[in-house]
Amino acid sequence: MGRLFSGPHARPAALVLLAPLILFSQARAQTTLRWGADPSGGAPYVFADPAHPETYVGYEKEMVEALAAAMGRRAEFVPSDWETLVSSLERGQFDVIVNGLEPTADRARLILFSKPYYAFRLQITVRREEEKIDSLEDCRGRTVGTLVNTAASRLLERDGYRYKGYQDPVGAYRDLELGRVDAVLMDVPMEMYYARRNPRLKAAGEPFHRGAYVVGLRKTDEALKREVDAAVDKIIRDGTLEQILRRWNLWDEAQAALKVERVQEATGQTAGAQGEGSAGEGETGGGVAYDLTSTTFNWGEALVRLGRAALITILLAFGAMAVALALGLVLAVAQAHGPRWSGWLATAYVEFFRGTPVLVQLLFLYFGLPKLGVAMPGWLTALVGLGLNYAAYESQVYRAALDAVPRGQWEAAYLLGMSPVLAFRRVIMPQALRVALPPMTNDFVSLFKDTSVAFAISVWELATAYRELANATGEFLLLGVIVSVFYLVMSLPLAHLARRLELRMRRRRDASLELAEEAP
Amino acid sequence: MIRVENLEKSYGDVRVLKGLTFAVEPRTVLGVIGGSGSGKSTLLRCLNGLERIDGGAVEAGGVRLEASLGASEYARRVKQLRRHVGMVFQHLYLFPHLTALGNVTEAPVHVARVRPAEAQARALELLGAVGLREKADRFPDALSGGEQQRVAIARALAMKPEVLLFDEPTSALDPRRTSELRATLRGFVRDGHTMVVVTHSMSFVDGLADSLLYMEAGETVEYGEAEKVLKDPRDPRTREFLSHAR
Repeated sequence: MGRLFSGPHARPAALVLLAPLILFSQARAQTTLRWGADPSGGAPYVFADPAHPETYVGYEKEMVEALAAAMGRRAEFVPSDWETLVSSLERGQFDVIVNGLEPTADRARLILFSKPYYAFRLQITVRREEEKIDSLEDCRGRTVGTLVNTAASRLLERDGYRYKGYQDPVGAYRDLELGRVDAVLMDVPMEMYYARRNPRLKAAGEPFHRGAYVVGLRKTDEALKREVDAAVDKIIRDGTLEQILRRWNLWDEAQAALKVERVQEATGQTAGAQGEGSAGEGETGGGVAYDLTSTTFNWGEALVRLGRAALITILLAFGAMAVALALGLVLAVAQAHGPRWSGWLATAYVEFFRGTPVLVQLLFLYFGLPKLGVAMPGWLTALVGLGLNYAAYESQVYRAALDAVPRGQWEAAYLLGMSPVLAFRRVIMPQALRVALPPMTNDFVSLFKDTSVAFAISVWELATAYRELANATGEFLLLGVIVSVFYLVMSLPLAHLARRLELRMRRRRDASLELAEEAP
Repeated sequence: MIRVENLEKSYGDVRVLKGLTFAVEPRTVLGVIGGSGSGKSTLLRCLNGLERIDGGAVEAGGVRLEASLGASEYARRVKQLRRHVGMVFQHLYLFPHLTALGNVTEAPVHVARVRPAEAQARALELLGAVGLREKADRFPDALSGGEQQRVAIARALAMKPEVLLFDEPTSALDPRRTSELRATLRGFVRDGHTMVVVTHSMSFVDGLADSLLYMEAGETVEYGEAEKVLKDPRDPRTREFLSHAR
């Protein structure tokens, strides 16, 4: 039963007000099956039809429609985000997850699983010219790309492979082409759709691992689970699912075995000792064996990973600030003291980088630049991107600070025989820096926090770490507090240091001022 | 030795200097007097190369700037010229991030490449000469106006210029400090410096300047021996100015 609102039940007044709405929603919930999935890079599961981008297609979409029909409901697709599927389900944004979801032990603590409807295998993909990788074992010491929070990523993590998590398969395969990762491990459906026809990539070795896709449901929705299980059995037995999978080229022996088993189940025969098919809750039953990737959440390990993420955040912040300070100075000088064309260029640069979101700039650098032949790894892209962005701001800080130094300071330096460069370095810059220090510190603290946009290009910094670990565990609250503490521990000392620098300068001046007043 | 021949300078359409001609003999002081906007500060800026001249020629410390020179040659000569010409601005423009001592050693160490220890010894000597040896470690804003001016003078002297230019040196001084400054500058003449002092204070140039130039609207009104100009001005405009100044 789709329980839409859990909060309002506690408030009678609100209940009265919302009653019509709730009744309506619940009535609606009985006739619809709202299912959540991530359509971005979601082929062949569910994705925007390239020919009609406003409609979604995919084998799972067709399957959910068949399921809903079997349940006497109408399927309603709720586009969502892969990483937050579980928490969105818990929040009631939809009733079921149908997105090639694999039963894992940590998910089993949070949600219910239906019976498996698809038996998937994993496939390694490498670049066409790769000759050293034929199996997962060959990937030791190399970087393997995969989707975050999948059986594949758990497998890699458990067995200690170095891997990079992506939000969608497109990014993973593109980075493979660009050499940002050495191999990609992905479920066969995705591999089929995104990699098999790519002439620059090839499959390495045979598919391996046995896993299953299941429908995910809220812990409290036992009744709906029974309904879904029955519908899954029905569409498998009556061949509806087979038709759909054949149409999508996804039918193979593993699916045939699954069908045979379900049919035998229905006719009272047992499937024989093919292994334990427990999906955590042990209710999925059935004989087709699949490996349950059962890495459970390990707090010690999580803290280590958070620590590593914090280091990357620090690297990003300091690196980007160094870029911003150096480039900002060049821009400021070009804008204020260079020839007209350089001033014009600098102004255009500043307006461009201040006028467009840093997120868009990062995405452009990460995905757009490789088209021009420049492929930087994610962390470097984030460092350079943030640096370029903050350079625009720092240039204006410099400019204001340079303007604050009287023109006469330049002239005094020139008349002492200094060249413009020497005058700038010895006379102007020290005075300007004093003016610039407080705003620059503020910018640095902002930059520190802005490193979090790097999650958009799969850089494992603190925000990404938070998102991925929290999604894996559901510990949004506790991990949120921990991550906030990490940020604070790093940014507070910075702010403190800057304040002290400022104070010291002021004190030095005040001290000599006092002396002056004492002396007659 | 300073020589100025038909010096012209315009800012856009405004002619600020309309053909000045004068000379300052070695070890003498020229006082340039005139009201606000007469062009006397611009004259100084042409003498030290801060402004490019539009007509005529300027010569100081053996370096000659001519309006007809090409840009790069002009710039090269300005650089040379500045080795011989020191200046004390009306607003001083001490370097606020450096101590008095730092202000004085800055150019010798970083421009003339004198060894720091040597530069420091000489700077302390110069600061001592203007009575500021004890305050060498103070920052400029911890010094009084008069003290700041003396630091600025020491800073200019540290580069051993032959010619010293002063722009309104008395504007921030009380009468006692003014006469002290006059004595100090006289001492520089004895040490071999040639000076141009721009001021509107008649009492200051009286007894300091050897010759006087009175200008109005970018033109020489009266130019001659200081005593003569002060005691017996020929031009009625000079007489008028002097009568207000007393």
